[in-house]
Amino acid sequence: MCCSHHTEERSVPLAQPTEKFDMDLIRGMKFFDPHVHMTSRTTDDYQAMADAGIVALIEPSFWLGQPRTGPDSFKDYYSSLVGWERFRSSQFGIKHYCTIGLNSREANNEPLAEQVMEMLPLFIYKDGVVGIGEIGFDDQTAAEEKYYRLQLELAKESGLPVQIHTPHRDKKRGTQRSMDIAIEHGLDPGMVIVDHNNEETVKEVLERGFWAAFTIYPFTKMGNQRMVEITKQYGPERIMVNSAADWGISDPMAVPKTAALMKLNGISLADIELVTYRNAITAFAQSGQINEADFVSVIDQSAKFEGNSILRGGQQPRIDKSSIIIS
Amino acid sequence: MTSASDLITIFSDIIKENIPGDAWNWLYAQKNPANSYDLNLAFGIMPRKTGKTLVQITNQQQELINAAKPGLSINSWAVDRLSRVWLLAQYQADDQNTYFRTIENLFSAAEMNEQVALYSALPLISYPELWLKRCAEGIRSNIGIVLEAIMYHNPYPAENLPEPAWNQMVLKAFFTDKQINNIYGLDSRANTELARILIDYARERHAAGRQINDMLWYLVQKFVTEQQLNNMKQGHFND
Repeated sequence: MCCSHHTEERSVPLAQPTEKFDMDLIRGMKFFDPHVHMTSRTTDDYQAMADAGIVALIEPSFWLGQPRTGPDSFKDYYSSLVGWERFRSSQFGIKHYCTIGLNSREANNEPLAEQVMEMLPLFIYKDGVVGIGEIGFDDQTAAEEKYYRLQLELAKESGLPVQIHTPHRDKKRGTQRSMDIAIEHGLDPGMVIVDHNNEETVKEVLERGFWAAFTIYPFTKMGNQRMVEITKQYGPERIMVNSAADWGISDPMAVPKTAALMKLNGISLADIELVTYRNAITAFAQSGQINEADFVSVIDQSAKFEGNSILRGGQQPRIDKSSIIIS
Repeated sequence: MTSASDLITIFSDIIKENIPGDAWNWLYAQKNPANSYDLNLAFGIMPRKTGKTLVQITNQQQELINAAKPGLSINSWAVDRLSRVWLLAQYQADDQNTYFRTIENLFSAAEMNEQVALYSALPLISYPELWLKRCAEGIRSNIGIVLEAIMYHNPYPAENLPEPAWNQMVLKAFFTDKQINNIYGLDSRANTELARILIDYARERHAAGRQINDMLWYLVQKFVTEQQLNNMKQGHFND
């Protein structure tokens, strides 16, 4: 759940000197975006991401902007994360994983939250579900805490990693509290990815042995220049970068752009690979659900069956966007 | 029907040869789930237990499958798909209503590969008349592998779908560039109305300057004169 629903907090800089994103800087590199809400994005985004070298991604279940009024809306949403959206992604050659959970905002609708909790076991064991997420605190209410705790128990029981959303308001305390509660429930910090970090939270998260994820999101979260500094200061260990691109003004190219900026700023290719690819895989592969061999052959093997002339697995044909003609 | 139990036996042999011994022992223990919860769990967790490699079968096994269920082929299946179908084919409930609700529930929460397995199981599960709407719903899907699970080497549509739904499936196969000759029952289910729809479709493709699949003419030829067919192939649709 990210980020721009706090439009009231945001002050948009009027004009900034711009430097063009040079794709040549990252040519040949591959990326893994461990937090991006593709349900809210277009096919143009998928195409651009694939072109920039994003080979796989994780779509956490989140708040869709419009509150859900019944359990079936949740069910259909979870189904679409393992069904339709996964398929859409495969058409662009990007391997799609997801995390399943009850987001903190909607945890505040308790009668509904109860029904969603009952439904979760049906989804968390499904193929390609790499964690429980994104869960945690938004307003830091009692109901949020209750369902956060219940879902931590579910994660423990199922042996799945946890992807924690940390709140916008009172962030530092909310982050500490999220970690304290995870420890209290006996979770191994190595199984927990604390998301949406900033300069204020990163030190403690790393010191306590958790994974620290950073969301590069314009206006309301981290900018990637700050990310470069953080990587220089803390090194690449247990740090990962994501876009959390969603229905707000956000950028699904955040991971490759950040890699490019890191390269320009002298961070080593090995370190860039860790924070924009490898670390996220290491963390979420603890689910047993990520196989890198799938990245290159996202297409179902049956689609390679002899005589099958269609684009692999129903992959989308490219269209020439620069042409005025649409045929 | 003995062919159903024959198929289970053949499938059991194939699965046994394609997965590790402990995975087979686990699977075999799931074959009579006590309730829908156990079925859901076994169905969902299948690839973790069996892996996802392509099934290797002998020619003789393929012949046995053909004999037990004409039209069915598992040639391009992964082993988790076959194992899920094996599980579903043996599932039994106390009554038809419970059976229907349990299977429907699997459909409604299925991820892509689960959907593939569920639609692949249609020719083998009980009460074929109950799944007509479900099959038609699957045909409305735009997910390639789900459509292929229904369309390719699956005898359920030809054996069960009423004519409008059958025609819809064939037309959808053309629309989505599927391999038409993988559809079982094309000859036995060919019909005038389908030919009319396909001619309309061909006319539209022609007008848009798009190619026309040769298999379209194959399905039309029975219902027009040779002269008409040749005219249409050359783009003359006014008869």
